[in-house]
Amino acid sequence: MSAMALRSVNLPGVGTKYEIETDKGDTIAIFFTKTGTIQMYTLQKGCQTPSAAVMTPVEARRLGNILTGAIIEADQESVEIAFSALADLRVTIHTFYIPESITGKTIEDLRIRAKTGATIIAVCRHDKNIINPPPTFAFQAGDAALVIGESDQIIKFEREIMVE
Amino acid sequence: MEGFIIALFVCVVLALISKYLSIPSIPFYIIAGVILGKTGLGIVHSDEVSQFFSNMGLLFLLFFMGLELKLDRIIANPSKVLTGGLIGLTVDMGIGFSAAYLLGFTLMESFIVGAAFYITSTAIIITSLIENRKLMSREAETIIWVTVFEDMVLIIILAVLSASDQNLLLFLVKIALALAFIYALSFYGREFLVSVLERNDEIPILFTFAAVLTTASIAIYLEIPETLIVIALGAAFATTDPDAFEQHARPFRDVFMVMFFVFFGVTIDFASGVDWFVVAVICSLAIVSKLISSMIIGIVIHGSSLSGLEIWANMISRGEFSIALAVLYGSPIIATTIAAMVIVTSIVGAFTAKYSTWMRRGIIDRSRRKALMYRPHTNR
Repeated sequence: MSAMALRSVNLPGVGTKYEIETDKGDTIAIFFTKTGTIQMYTLQKGCQTPSAAVMTPVEARRLGNILTGAIIEADQESVEIAFSALADLRVTIHTFYIPESITGKTIEDLRIRAKTGATIIAVCRHDKNIINPPPTFAFQAGDAALVIGESDQIIKFEREIMVE
Repeated sequence: MEGFIIALFVCVVLALISKYLSIPSIPFYIIAGVILGKTGLGIVHSDEVSQFFSNMGLLFLLFFMGLELKLDRIIANPSKVLTGGLIGLTVDMGIGFSAAYLLGFTLMESFIVGAAFYITSTAIIITSLIENRKLMSREAETIIWVTVFEDMVLIIILAVLSASDQNLLLFLVKIALALAFIYALSFYGREFLVSVLERNDEIPILFTFAAVLTTASIAIYLEIPETLIVIALGAAFATTDPDAFEQHARPFRDVFMVMFFVFFGVTIDFASGVDWFVVAVICSLAIVSKLISSMIIGIVIHGSSLSGLEIWANMISRGEFSIALAVLYGSPIIATTIAAMVIVTSIVGAFTAKYSTWMRRGIIDRSRRKALMYRPHTNR
């Protein structure tokens, strides 16, 4: 960790700059600009001109998820969080789009916890988020569910609930 | 009032065009004002309403500058700010002042022209650094610190110019009292300010607007420059929650600043009594002088004249602060000269900033080719 040189500067009028020099001598600079966009520059060792990418906050968060090692599929994404301090506790959060087969059913009906061990922590419906839905919560077509659990429980959820 | 609406409509169209072409909008607004106003069609006239809006534009510009002015950061990096800043100040202010004096302006007028000549446009420069994706270059950081230094110099210039026709002691005492009051208010009222800003209703934005206006009118009542006091207000508020204040002040600044530029253009009279020779000399010197100062900054700070060229390409534009000086202290002749200088430098600056990488690459290629052509062993 100490080998990685991270430096952050607050540039007046521009925003915050983070700069990392990698072990191999390449430089990565990230700017959170006041205009709300995020700019990422990479400069290869020995090169003069960096190449730049401009991102929206959503895109930047996606990039962040990829960099932390999460698996991202075309439209469903999952993030694995490892808490190194707690005996390497690993938790996976995965998004699922509710299929037609289970629309109208409640969380209680599906017996999600009993069958898979996973828990639904949030449902996204028409750009509105329902956090910690109650057992009586009934799914609708087009819902996106956020499921938390161990990676085995997530796989079980995918096999047993999503196909029902 | 119809003129005002026409001006507003023209500005919306121009803003769209300038954003589409990704060049700064400030020169467009001034040109729009010139075309609609005295020099051109004469449809739009400056009246009480427009003056009120222009004045708001100036106040919010300066309030915003105060918010960005974090003194602790400057004190933390004095060498970064000072080296580049002082070179720019001596070279550009020196050339601007001497040129104006030699061209027949009085000492006082030359000082104002010199100051407007020296101060670059923070708004244009920062936006172009972001849009041209140049933030990572080492020159970008130098440029940003130089603009910070220029802001400080502007405060001193404003103080000097407004102090010149007053009883100095009384003036200083009044200013010191006002500053102490503002800082005490934001120090002891910190929790109250933060709680006001955290609300979700219209209170934060109303409060920001009222705070700037009230402070300005109290300053006018006390006969101290409202410009300085508004900057101080911004700097004092920056110690509480600067991001929230910026967020709430931004809409006012954006709208009123446009009015400020347009109605500056409206009052400009390019049609009569303009010495085009003087204007041409000042405009071209404004570009040349920045080349000299940037080269020195590049060589002193980065040890490279190519860096100097890059700094120059990004620092040509003069803008809001030059116009502010012209509006506050300039005679009609000074205002015309500064208007022309802002239009020319900001348009030239937009192009140099955009294509500086190509320029740089061209120079490097040519020197490489020269190095290849040079063969020490063939004794020609």
